[in-house]
Amino acid sequence: MYSPARNWGPGFIAKLIIMALIDAIGVYGIYSAWTVKAMPIVIVMILLVLVANVVYFARRFVPAKYILPGLIFLFIFQIFVMLYTAYVAFTNYGYGHMIDKDRAIAQMQEYNSQLDPNGPSYQLTMLAKGSDIYFGIVDDGVAKVGTDAVALEPLKGAKVADNKITEAPGYTVLGMGDVASRQKEVTSLRVPVSDDPSDGALGTSNATSAEVYRPVLLYDEAADTLTDTESGTVYTDNSRGNFRAADGSKPPNDVGWRTSVGVANFARLFTDASVAKPFAEVLAWTIAFAFLSVATTFLLGLALALVFNSPRLRGQKFYRVLLILPYAFPGFMSALLWRAMLNTQFGVVNQTLLGGADIMWLQDPWLAKLSVLFVNLWLGYPYMFLVCTGALQAIPSDMMESAKVDGASPWRQFRSITLPLLFIAVAPLLISSFAFNFNNFNLIFMLTGGGPTHGTDPTRPGGTDILISMVYRVAGVDDGNPDYGLATALSIIIFILVGAIAAFSFRQTRKLEEMA
Amino acid sequence: MTTMTSTPPAKAARSGDLNRPPRSKWWREIGWRHIVGIIAIVYAVFPLIFAANIALTPGAGISNTADLFAKVGMGNFEYLFTDPSSFFVRWIVNTLVVGGVTSIGTVLMGAAASYAFSRFRFRGRRFTLSALLVIQMFPQMLAFVAIFLLLTALGEVFPALGMNSLVALICVYLGGALGANTYLMYGFFNTVPKEIDEAAKIDGATHAQIFWTIILRLVAPVLAVAGLLSFISSFSEYIIAKLVLTEAPNYTLAVALYSFVADPMNPHWGWFAAGALIAAIPVLVLFLFLQRYIVSGLTSGAVKG
Amino acid sequence: MKRRVFVFIAAFGLIAALAGCSTSDDTGSPASDPADETTEGSDVATTDDDGAAAADDAGSGCTEEIGKLEMWVDDSRLAALAGVVETFKQEQCVTVNLVRKNFDDLRADFGSQVAAGEGPDITIGANDWLGEFKANGVIAPIDISAVASGLAPAAVAAYTSEGQTYGVPYAMENIGLVRNNALLADTKATTFDELIEEAKATGAKYSVLVQVGDKGDAYHMYPIQSSFGAGMFELSPDGDYTSTLAMAGDPGHAFAEYIAKLGADGVLSVDINDSVAKDQFKAGNAPYVITGPWNTSGDDSFAQAGMDISVLPIPPAGSEPATPFLGVQGFYLSAKSENTLLAQMFLVDYLTRSDVQLELFKVGGRTPASLDAQADPVITGDPIAAGFAEAAADAVVQPSIPAMNQVWTPLGQEEADLISGKASDPAGTWDEMITNIESAIAKSAE
Repeated sequence: MYSPARNWGPGFIAKLIIMALIDAIGVYGIYSAWTVKAMPIVIVMILLVLVANVVYFARRFVPAKYILPGLIFLFIFQIFVMLYTAYVAFTNYGYGHMIDKDRAIAQMQEYNSQLDPNGPSYQLTMLAKGSDIYFGIVDDGVAKVGTDAVALEPLKGAKVADNKITEAPGYTVLGMGDVASRQKEVTSLRVPVSDDPSDGALGTSNATSAEVYRPVLLYDEAADTLTDTESGTVYTDNSRGNFRAADGSKPPNDVGWRTSVGVANFARLFTDASVAKPFAEVLAWTIAFAFLSVATTFLLGLALALVFNSPRLRGQKFYRVLLILPYAFPGFMSALLWRAMLNTQFGVVNQTLLGGADIMWLQDPWLAKLSVLFVNLWLGYPYMFLVCTGALQAIPSDMMESAKVDGASPWRQFRSITLPLLFIAVAPLLISSFAFNFNNFNLIFMLTGGGPTHGTDPTRPGGTDILISMVYRVAGVDDGNPDYGLATALSIIIFILVGAIAAFSFRQTRKLEEMA
Repeated sequence: MTTMTSTPPAKAARSGDLNRPPRSKWWREIGWRHIVGIIAIVYAVFPLIFAANIALTPGAGISNTADLFAKVGMGNFEYLFTDPSSFFVRWIVNTLVVGGVTSIGTVLMGAAASYAFSRFRFRGRRFTLSALLVIQMFPQMLAFVAIFLLLTALGEVFPALGMNSLVALICVYLGGALGANTYLMYGFFNTVPKEIDEAAKIDGATHAQIFWTIILRLVAPVLAVAGLLSFISSFSEYIIAKLVLTEAPNYTLAVALYSFVADPMNPHWGWFAAGALIAAIPVLVLFLFLQRYIVSGLTSGAVKG
Repeated sequence: MKRRVFVFIAAFGLIAALAGCSTSDDTGSPASDPADETTEGSDVATTDDDGAAAADDAGSGCTEEIGKLEMWVDDSRLAALAGVVETFKQEQCVTVNLVRKNFDDLRADFGSQVAAGEGPDITIGANDWLGEFKANGVIAPIDISAVASGLAPAAVAAYTSEGQTYGVPYAMENIGLVRNNALLADTKATTFDELIEEAKATGAKYSVLVQVGDKGDAYHMYPIQSSFGAGMFELSPDGDYTSTLAMAGDPGHAFAEYIAKLGADGVLSVDINDSVAKDQFKAGNAPYVITGPWNTSGDDSFAQAGMDISVLPIPPAGSEPATPFLGVQGFYLSAKSENTLLAQMFLVDYLTRSDVQLELFKVGGRTPASLDAQADPVITGDPIAAGFAEAAADAVVQPSIPAMNQVWTPLGQEEADLISGKASDPAGTWDEMITNIESAIAKSAE
């Protein structure tokens, strides 16, 4: 035994060059992540570089040398995404709860601080002291200065021209260039007119004139409360991402924030009638749909693969290319095309193929189920055809030859040699195809939208609703008021379900494999 | 190792052609296959005729199924290639780059992992295999929040990996490289007899040499299948692509085609269908090209020469 | 007027300073009379009364870019905005990067990206997104008091919520009755029933096409619904929508029974969806279709197909006027924009200009919000635009309150079920729908 690590062959040199590149990129990444203070990225990058060097330069870890590249991509772009998505399931992220608390408070104050249409307007001079921005105005000939924490107060010694401050002792007059780099700070600044908040505050939308805004909501940082200065109502954090008054009423222009809600979203599976009630019914159809989709596409794909596997068949290439056509076409286009084709009055299936029939392909619950399966067969058989065509080639031909010599009939050859071997190769693919169809939202959404529905009762699912499309409807994702926390929590439950089914089936296929 | 080819058994079978089987035998063995083929093609192609109708008939909508090809015009194709707001050629190039790099990366990483799973016994092997199967079942539809966050953060460190970058999109796709493809390939690697590796090992080959020069050659058909599948899936994927690619010139074909019909008030089915027909060509060409490898199969290899 | 003057000075001051001045403190000194320089520099034609804020190096190009804005626009309107972006660049040395988005993605992407601290400074958008954007805290109020008097009051009102304006409107859109003049040259009908009779008399395959689809279409059905006095929401004393449904009870029942009858008669059908309605009307199979300006002008439109059409008000089916929803298109300012001053200037001083809005009129046929633009011969001389405007005479602004999101799906579904005959008891299923919507609204308002 010798190791390439000791042998300066071309393989080793190639490895050195690649590793040098990876290390260079890694070091650059660490450095540049450091400069933007992205600490998680720094840590992950350091780990990755270390692991890569250990794995590829140590003589142990041979399997890791082969798995690592794929694993790195898997960890960053799938496992991280999964974990983060799982985290969302424990929050109230969704409609009205999209931003963090500080932003929500600032936003509510901005929305409630309204321009007083009858108030005065002042020529504004932007001033700075230290890092703070100040407003400078001339009120009745008196120069006044203030900022958010300091109400307007007269400033002595200021130079004024045309009702506008031109020089202010102790302050720097800001050039517009300075203002341009701090635009958001300028437009969100509110300078109290006096110590009485009900007098309002000055604000600007253009940096050259200031008007009176009346802030209705004041935030008390120490008490973590919002106070309505007009009605005196005090709103407190209800720990579910909103400020609420004692009687439960909302502050005006309410904005909520993202916060953790524990397992509340998962509990909705049991408490929310629109999920809990139809769950079993929808689960049964989802399993049936996924299973039948795999069975039909696999059988058709396999049958076609067998038919065109004969080396003596002329035009083999031609057939094969045309057969994968449905697969070469964007899937959502096909679903929309089929929907138009299955329209009762105007679709080509009823109109042309069936001579003006009146079959409600997509409106009758059972026919709609059939249509979904039929369209999915059209969409999905080329995949199985390709996989089976490939798999048939992999069956060692000597096994077939010896079977032939033994005088086995073609059917027997197929049953006892081809099928079991093929099955071992494709069983995991059938399982993942099952899982894919279990969550085949796109097809259902584009073709039937889950329908036909049973009236407007949200607890009655549509005739072709599968679990994931039901979740989408219940969580309001397609109505424009999404509750992503709920949708994610429910889809994680679906993931656990389908994962369990898959793991179980996988175990079964492994037994099969061991038997073979 | 290259000398390990031998006469393919298939050739022996083919030489039987010279005997010119009688007509009835031809029907029994071959002829019916043509019948099945024709029926299957009608089934496969029939809906696409309507797509062609939409593409070729000026002003046709998706619901206009009467009067097929009543008048034919190339206006939709002209739009794609000549209108300044259409970057059709660029979209094709983008798509080919994304599909090509993704499929090559997927095949290499998937094959390497399958080799490890198939040939080595190590701690955590079974767990990793099962985990791979289960992870790919995670519903991707809600992942957009995380992907957006991840790419925005990465973009600050590596601008090439930020939003609106084809490289970033490829990386996200490569994150799924170990999914289904590992299984597809793993099954095939297992069908390659271990005796071959062992013989090579005795000859003094390293594991790397065995992998690169022997095994990969033997599993060429499955590499072709996996490559094609991966190419097609990245070619037609649009949910993640739509999220990552924010500016029109960077679109892949799927995103661009989707954008034609995205406005429900004003969908351009004609442009869409014309684009989709053209978009199918690279897939078909690639399939034609790869068919050689897919079909040549292990029969030309050295399995039991 | 007082504020208007200030804005001009403001705009000038900012630009003069940003564009040319390099020393740090000279902006503090009183500038020479701004008015002089403004008029000198306005070699770019603007319809605003005093040339707004053209800096003196306008036209000759800027030596230095002083700012950058990012703006999201959908495909169809992108080209129409290129002109004003160029003007803004010439006059203010600010580049606006127009990013092309799918119209369908704008709403969700803007919401999630701004929430994540990213996204553009400005996006194009419809007024009914306002409730959602505000509840999510992703938009900032815009001070449009300087130009509000030059815009249609209904358009401004559509972007106003509890006293603050959150968007700059550019156009209004509504559906109307579109007639194929080749099949029928004159409309005498004053009720919807008469209209159907009149249409049937032409012998065309269909009479009045209204898009329904499997899931219903509450927007296109609303004129019929409202003519029975079944409005969407009750109004508060100051004219805002409340979240109390206004379509319960007898008016709603009458509407439900009416469309169930039209469904049974084959006038309305769930098989007629958006694309079927458009394609059948284009094929000359119906004298009437109820649709909006997006189908009358632009690519793939009736106009492009060379049809001779007229647009009319929709005759009522019940005893009250048939009022379509008035949708308003405009621009929102991101709450996370760091360029609020420049963005405000672009939004308020540029995008409200009549020439800009007329340019946008060409791509979509929507009536401009600018009163000057509305008075322009381009609009007044356009019979289609005039037809839609006439159809909008009684139109009500489409609600943008969050509760509206709870209504579209069940209302549409109920209508589809009534039309297909699946809901055999119109009044009963209508009441059931009201209960379902009310509990959904209550649940979401927690």
